[in-house]
Amino acid sequence: MLLEEYRDLADYCVKEARRLGAEYAEARVHGGTGTGFLLKNGEPQPSMIEDSFGIAVRVIAGGAMGFSATNLLSKEKVRDIPAKTVRMAKSSARVVKEPIAMGDSKSSARKVRVEEKEPVEGADPNWLKSVLLEIDKRVVALQAGAGVKIPNRIMVASAGVEEKYIVTSDGARVESRVPRFNFFGIFTAMKGGDAAQRTLQQGETGGLEIVRRIRLLELVEAEARTLTEVLMEAEKAPTGIMDVVLSPELSGIAAHESVGHPQEADRILGREGAQAGESYLSKDSLGMKVGSEEANVSDDPTLAHSNGYAPVDDEGVVAKKRHLIVNGKVTEFLQNRATSSLLGVRNNGSSRSAAFDREPIIRMSNTFVEPGDYATTEELLKEVKDGIYLKSFTEWNIDDKRLNQRYTGLEAYLIKNGETTKLVRAPVLEITTPALWGSVKGRSKRLEFEAANCGKGDPMQGIPVWTGGPDTLLAGVRIAGGS
Amino acid sequence: MMGPEESNEFGVGVAKKLGADEAILLTAISNERMSRFANSSVTVTKSVTESGQMVYLAKGGRRIIGSSSNPEKASLERFIGLLYKSMMSLPKDPGYVPLPPRGREFRPKASHDKRLESAEGLLAGYVEEAIGSAESAGARRTAGSLEAGVTSHHIAASNGAVGRDASSKILLNIRAFTDKDASGHGLSCSADVRGFHPGRAGATAGSHSKRMRDARGLSGEARKYEVLMSPTVASNLLQLVGEFSSAFSVEAGTSYLADKLGKKVASESLDLTDLGKGDGCLAARTFDDEGQPTQTTKLIEGGVLKSYLHNLSTAKRFKTKTTGNAGLIEPGPWNLEVARGDSDYDEMVREMKHGLVLTSNWYTRFKNYRTGEFSTVPRDGTYLVESGEVRAPIKGIRISDSLERMFSSIRLLSKDREWVQWWEVDNPTLCPWVLVDGVTVTKAYGESPPRAG
Repeated sequence: MLLEEYRDLADYCVKEARRLGAEYAEARVHGGTGTGFLLKNGEPQPSMIEDSFGIAVRVIAGGAMGFSATNLLSKEKVRDIPAKTVRMAKSSARVVKEPIAMGDSKSSARKVRVEEKEPVEGADPNWLKSVLLEIDKRVVALQAGAGVKIPNRIMVASAGVEEKYIVTSDGARVESRVPRFNFFGIFTAMKGGDAAQRTLQQGETGGLEIVRRIRLLELVEAEARTLTEVLMEAEKAPTGIMDVVLSPELSGIAAHESVGHPQEADRILGREGAQAGESYLSKDSLGMKVGSEEANVSDDPTLAHSNGYAPVDDEGVVAKKRHLIVNGKVTEFLQNRATSSLLGVRNNGSSRSAAFDREPIIRMSNTFVEPGDYATTEELLKEVKDGIYLKSFTEWNIDDKRLNQRYTGLEAYLIKNGETTKLVRAPVLEITTPALWGSVKGRSKRLEFEAANCGKGDPMQGIPVWTGGPDTLLAGVRIAGGS
Repeated sequence: MMGPEESNEFGVGVAKKLGADEAILLTAISNERMSRFANSSVTVTKSVTESGQMVYLAKGGRRIIGSSSNPEKASLERFIGLLYKSMMSLPKDPGYVPLPPRGREFRPKASHDKRLESAEGLLAGYVEEAIGSAESAGARRTAGSLEAGVTSHHIAASNGAVGRDASSKILLNIRAFTDKDASGHGLSCSADVRGFHPGRAGATAGSHSKRMRDARGLSGEARKYEVLMSPTVASNLLQLVGEFSSAFSVEAGTSYLADKLGKKVASESLDLTDLGKGDGCLAARTFDDEGQPTQTTKLIEGGVLKSYLHNLSTAKRFKTKTTGNAGLIEPGPWNLEVARGDSDYDEMVREMKHGLVLTSNWYTRFKNYRTGEFSTVPRDGTYLVESGEVRAPIKGIRISDSLERMFSSIRLLSKDREWVQWWEVDNPTLCPWVLVDGVTVTKAYGESPPRAG
């Protein structure tokens, strides 16, 4: 629980850092409690309970940034942190060629509280276990008469509360309490020596009612059934140039990887160059055409229930919906205090940290292709004479400038004369970013989201996001692979 | 505030008093310093001090695990009380295996580098050295991170196991750029300052960034190449073989090594070993999370899969002994060693007819963990080799293959090896250059990207 004394420590750190000469100071108490349960091939593993809080202090002094964090939260241990952090920043100033400034973003004083009908705090591990056992039972039952085994079934259910108290030297004071439920599973279907595998992730903010709201049991059962069908029925996929329809799952991952990431201003400015990489875009790319008129991609941290819900960021700035690509043109980058100050643009509040021991950096929240005009998936499919409908994917990756990406289909159908006909095996869409977004010809109205953990930063920070979109029609792209 | 030993003993006492049959308290204390830089300018200097405590309780065949970051006496007592209450509401766990009746005492390992306990004074100088070397070798700008620190582990268990150890490491990862499409990568990873060479890593990155100017794409469709992987690239893939050796991974269906004990899974020249401790290990441990001694475990010897990695629980199911690799739920590797070969870089290049040299990669993802089919994206110094000579820098390619097929096609391994641990290599790996035949290389469809302004 976020204790009053922790707040006092944070307030003290900011005041003290300013007194010691920091141009900007920020303190964040960050942590939470959670319960997790893992089921392996129907066998329960030991329950896991977590309780963790720590404090982070970040300063700008002499144009250099210092960051300190600890979970030793006694007054004695925290007392020296502001001085140490300011000293560390100042001593690095000689190797700072580009002084850092936090600008004048509008700070927020706000409490963020996500409502929950059935509290996740103190969630009974037995209940989490019963949910997973019921899913497992349904998946095992699918084997009867299917000619396929699903011998490997890994599932994790976790419920937890993330709490933060953020205070900055320019007046931000934000307190947040965000409960979450998450599900992760890997299912392996086998037929003789042949195997197919599905990785599934679901996650929302809110209480344990999420399990019913997203119909988790039915959803996982349906995915496992499809996996058996892929193994039994899927035929070799055609290759060559053809129309491809991306499902919401595929639209979402493409939006995340090749629009969201390259439009993070810190990448564009080179700050993530050593690990997560840079961007094919530059700071002068606003207005550049990177897609067709039908290419419209946004990132919205204010969506109710969303996995990436963050209405105020971890620098204490109110976050807004970001219009990343509008009618094929780059319209907005994801910004934090430092990048918006450097680029002279409005800060859209994109700074988040995964834990107390991680610095806040620019992150996506819920990134998605905007829905279009086609009323249904079927109506969009009617536009395709010969093509492929990519409904789910397995392997994917992209280069570190976000230009050369690959998505391998799992549930994928051949389209003939506007209708899906048969399952095809592992078609590969390996395509450049401008080719992908330049080929968008139409979108359905159906907007759906998937949960994911987005990785970035050093040390690595996995942060909860949603990826999503409608069905998206790509005209005349190359499909490779098929096995 | 209690120290780690006192806190562990106190926690075991609380658990026993509550009625637990078994308890393990494991405390990890880490002091880490990091300096990150981009555009050859330091962007942030970090200092993180953490204490994490893992608590394991068992009673009547029930088990529970907790992790807490609050070592205060009252908080720990409250937390163990909550864990105990939760555990007692659970049914018996069929995977439960009792701890050995008598635990061991582990003496502290004194070989960590004390200079890395508070390394902030060292960081700026090393960063300057790395950037300077990269620029001297041709880089226009650099980005990187330098991380240094010491982690200690402290254990106490209800069976009398007690011990502590510590390990240190200093890791530099630097990328150099001469152009948006021309970059190079360098690493220096060491358990102590003595073996740390920031200038060498910077020069490697800078040199590749210069050679990568005017890199071009490969012509034609997907095809097979001989591929010479640097220790950085080979360790990215071989550390995954180490992870797939976990008995948990085998049971979970997330390993292509399932059902292959005693069978050939790689070329005869491949030996892969897990090292609990030893000279140079970046994550040395004397005991595992169950209070069992760590050891040296041959995973692959002469291309044959010799062992999985076990904790007490998986060892019982596999009717073998623990290898001291707990993880209470999931055993995993500590440090991996790939045996050296008898070749060298120049000889390996001369041996290639039509191939590629890869010096860095990222974003390795699996189509299917059970079959080991994957793809990964080479980046930084990547070169086409024709008739034994490095011809041209290459960009925009992807390796799309399977781990078993690739490691069954090893032609040569180098004598020289390097320790690798960075963003793309979680498990520290001592690895040579590796030449592999017949690797499938693909590239993306689509026009050249718009040139950023």
